Amino acid sequence: MKKILNILLQICILFIFSYIGTVIHNLFHLVIPSSIIGLLLLFICLCLKIVPVKYIENGAGFLLSTLMLFFIPSTVGIMNYPSLLSIQGALLVAAVLVSTIITIAIAGTASQFFEKKAQERKDDKECNKFSSHSA
Amino acid sequence: MQQVLFAFCMILLTVVANFLMTRIYKRYSYSYLIPVLTATTLIIITLSVFHIPYKNYMIGGQWISSLLGPSVVALAYPLYKQRHFLKSNLFPIVGGVLIGAISGMISVGLLAKIIGINHTLILSIIPKSLTTPVAIEVANGLGGSASMAIVGVMIAGIFGAIAAPTIFKIMRVHSPVGRGIALGSASHAIGTSKAAEYSELTFSMSSVTMTLTAIIGSFLGSIVVWLLHI
Repeated sequence: MKKILNILLQICILFIFSYIGTVIHNLFHLVIPSSIIGLLLLFICLCLKIVPVKYIENGAGFLLSTLMLFFIPSTVGIMNYPSLLSIQGALLVAAVLVSTIITIAIAGTASQFFEKKAQERKDDKECNKFSSHSA
Repeated sequence: MQQVLFAFCMILLTVVANFLMTRIYKRYSYSYLIPVLTATTLIIITLSVFHIPYKNYMIGGQWISSLLGPSVVALAYPLYKQRHFLKSNLFPIVGGVLIGAISGMISVGLLAKIIGINHTLILSIIPKSLTTPVAIEVANGLGGSASMAIVGVMIAGIFGAIAAPTIFKIMRVHSPVGRGIALGSASHAIGTSKAAEYSELTFSMSSVTMTLTAIIGSFLGSIVVWLLHI
């Protein structure tokens, strides 16, 4: 019982951040979605220790573990789009499939390349340190 | 009073459908049995049988949807836990995420435009490589439809997890960092659970990438739409 209350309270804190995000979003007419603003705010508050992790960890863990449930009402909205079962729908699926292949290929290759570059830079630094030591 | 009762019934229907389908999924664990898919089908069938339009269903449904906002905020928690990891791999992660997010959005936008998909649908699938709650908000912000956005997100997630091993082989992506970033930036949470099968490092990479892609993608969306004149 105490645990449930604890999770509920922590979800309230997350709600507050989400609400502040909405206020900022509307105030400055930002393109960034309000919940992302809330996410960034909470991340900053956690890093600066303004909000201790233990105030949100249970609530956040609970929300993230039941995340699937929260978007079911939106998915049910498909019932308003019977056109999905047509040629347009098939084309849409095709576009997403091809784009996913492209994304995985490009992101994978690029980040492997970046990783190598970062590694080389690190090695160079260590080499320099070593040579300056010996000199 | 009657409306409150009706809303409650709709919430109950959603929760029960999700609970039942999650149990079935855990028991048989075929990837096409994912609860979002099966629970949604079950709810749509129920609504059709009782002639309840979607608008009325949402009287209850909106209460469940309202938890999406705090859930996105909650993503700050895993990101915070991995902050040291993020700091020590900053260059490959940020570079990979930027390239992954840009190529994901531009490629789907261009392809959809070339094959002549209608305007609203294109706007809905632009955020297809972002994690679902963020994709919903981005699609709404761009003027697309949330439910179509989820369809796009689910296809990108499931297909990405299935196709990734083959793509890695062809493109010779062997490093855990490269694989994790590719999975996280193209296939969000579903890709991240696939990444967990490779190694701990691949998994951490993928989950950090997923959150960062959502953050970057949320404002990249409107830039891409503007660039491609959609």
